[in-house]
Amino acid sequence: MNSRLTQHLNILDYALSSLWRRRAKNLSILIVFSWVIFLVASFQLVTQALTETATSVLRSTPEITVQKMSAGRQIEIPIDFSRKLAAIFGIQEIVPRVWGYYFDEVTGANYTVMGIAPGRMPLLDRLNLSLEEGGRYDQGSRGKVVIGRSIRRIMEEKGSTLLSLFRPDLSQTSFEVTGVFKPEVDILTNDLIVMNIDDARDLFAIPSSMATDLCVYVANPSEVATIARKISEALPGTRVLTRSQINRTYQVVFGWRSGFASVCLLTALTAFVILAWDKASGLSPEEKREISILKILGWETADVLAVRFWEGILVSGIAFIVGCTLAYAHVVFFNASLFKPVLIGWSVIYPEFRLVPSFRLDQFLLVFSLSVLPYLAATVIPAWRSASVPADSALSGM
Amino acid sequence: MLLSSWSIALLLCGLIVLFLMGLAARSAIRVLLYWDPASDSNRQIRLENEIWLTSTLVEYALGIQIISLIVFVLAADFFSQSIAGAMCATGSLLADSYGVPALVVKIVGVFFYGFWIVLHQLDIHSEKYPLVRKKYLYLLLLIPLLILDLTLEILYITGLKPDIITSCCAVVFGDTTGGGTNLIGGFSHGLSMGLFYGTAGGLLCIGLFLLKRWQRWACVLFSSGWLWFFLLSLTVVTSEFSSYIYAMPFHKCPFCILKPEYHYIGFVLYFALFLGAFFGMSGALVEPLRSVDDLESGVTGYQASAVKSSLFFLTVFVLVSSYHYWRYILIGGEG
Repeated sequence: MNSRLTQHLNILDYALSSLWRRRAKNLSILIVFSWVIFLVASFQLVTQALTETATSVLRSTPEITVQKMSAGRQIEIPIDFSRKLAAIFGIQEIVPRVWGYYFDEVTGANYTVMGIAPGRMPLLDRLNLSLEEGGRYDQGSRGKVVIGRSIRRIMEEKGSTLLSLFRPDLSQTSFEVTGVFKPEVDILTNDLIVMNIDDARDLFAIPSSMATDLCVYVANPSEVATIARKISEALPGTRVLTRSQINRTYQVVFGWRSGFASVCLLTALTAFVILAWDKASGLSPEEKREISILKILGWETADVLAVRFWEGILVSGIAFIVGCTLAYAHVVFFNASLFKPVLIGWSVIYPEFRLVPSFRLDQFLLVFSLSVLPYLAATVIPAWRSASVPADSALSGM
Repeated sequence: MLLSSWSIALLLCGLIVLFLMGLAARSAIRVLLYWDPASDSNRQIRLENEIWLTSTLVEYALGIQIISLIVFVLAADFFSQSIAGAMCATGSLLADSYGVPALVVKIVGVFFYGFWIVLHQLDIHSEKYPLVRKKYLYLLLLIPLLILDLTLEILYITGLKPDIITSCCAVVFGDTTGGGTNLIGGFSHGLSMGLFYGTAGGLLCIGLFLLKRWQRWACVLFSSGWLWFFLLSLTVVTSEFSSYIYAMPFHKCPFCILKPEYHYIGFVLYFALFLGAFFGMSGALVEPLRSVDDLESGVTGYQASAVKSSLFFLTVFVLVSSYHYWRYILIGGEG
């Protein structure tokens, strides 16, 4: 066993020196291969980081959201509906919510306006923890808002202290800003305006008996599915969304997008595999002479194959480490600037958020099987061709 | 689910293996048709050269197949995030009728490719290449298994349907798919533990006996013991040991132990079990080759090292799988 280990160590040593002797050719392969791995790994890491962010963001959403549907579209839901649900055992709280999008014609940006019922959201006290300045969110009072950082920036550019918005009939309403969200929650709050539910109704001209949707909070998480089913039975014509479904949709969307990107990257991979095959196939006269001299010295085909195998492992191993390190740096330090628009979309005000993928072995195995395995498979036949150079071919050139 | 990076990686692995084995099969057909050890024609020399190519191709294919087995389980785990009711790979493998067959075919495949490499090593041990025809026939027989593997994989992946929240409630609130608790539901805790440690002890004794004195009956007993132990271990790890690793009495799953939360302990565990079972079972499989011309010393050498390796991996497997259980018992828990 020991002698075989020493043999392989010697072969590894020889493979290293052989790679070094042809460093120009190998370096070109290494650079292209690292680039391909960088592309594949970047996409995987961005997807993973986005999925993790989505999961952590959804942790604070209500367990169930009830929306009324008409002709396949969401319409306002009567607040009375919550009375019909009161009988369902296990529901902790049903809170009406008014929300919508507000288009600011001056800046061309879309704001998200969220009107919440004062004092009824179970997690409302947490809202204060995410405020950067301005103290507490005053739950009861009207005419006051908490805004995201982008909206504050727009207000500062305009030089106004009050947030002025227009109702559908173009009459103006103004709000006093009592707080600004912290940068850490930008992904959720960058374009967000939180206000009293009655203010939101007033802004969107929604009757006081209506809401956009109903948030249902459930005490026991394992009862969510059953309660959701009961709600959909009690309120026909509504759409009942659970948090886990929303989360699953995010996973599917990100998974689909990264899969689509992988398909696109397969073309780059194919091009690289053809290059690797081509480079490995072109045996120079020196290489032929080297192999036949080795054979004259007593090397067997299996030994030359082992050298080629180790060369392949070394090249792909180094390229893999370089590519993955660059990809990690690209995602963490450069915020995945090359690929983020593909995965998350684009808007006038878009949140600046940091992507920090966790280090997971399965992601690296995925990148490995998408990049290194095709390379190894592409070089096996050229490796055999070079290993089967007959011993006497060295003499023919002399 | 076809358009996910994991599916693409799986299909890519499958196609690469099929490509490599297809090339190997081409050589195999030539060898079966034209192999003539007595001849020194150009064709014979070319065929002797091609033997190296085929063995390298099958070795690569085996390596990729092992990686693809791991990727398959991890992919199933990934798919579980988007399948209603599935919490880990168990759920998504049971989500359509092709998941479990695909996994079984993959595991069986790894063993079969491994046996081919053993045959090849024995064959090149002798200068006469006495097993050439047998091993190439065997190689051709592997191709249908490989195609079956890839077909099941494709059927499994295309059969998985993720739920989208805009679909109707009846679809979204489908039944949750089951867990792995009913694998050996009929066995009591004491009985399965007794069987596990009894068989492991028995295998250790027979192995040590074989190393001192080689007996054909003991060799057959050892290998069949390993087959039994392999299947038993898969069920005992699932139904008994896994819940101690998770520190949750009702969490019984053979796949979650592969996750980073449990320090990837499953990889060490299954690696040791699969290698141990492979070496343990291959000992008896090569026994009939002892009578083949010029192979006696090769077979003897291989069997001795296979028994030693299988005992080593058996010890590693038993220690790693029992660690959490015995730690729990020793700090005062109730078995």
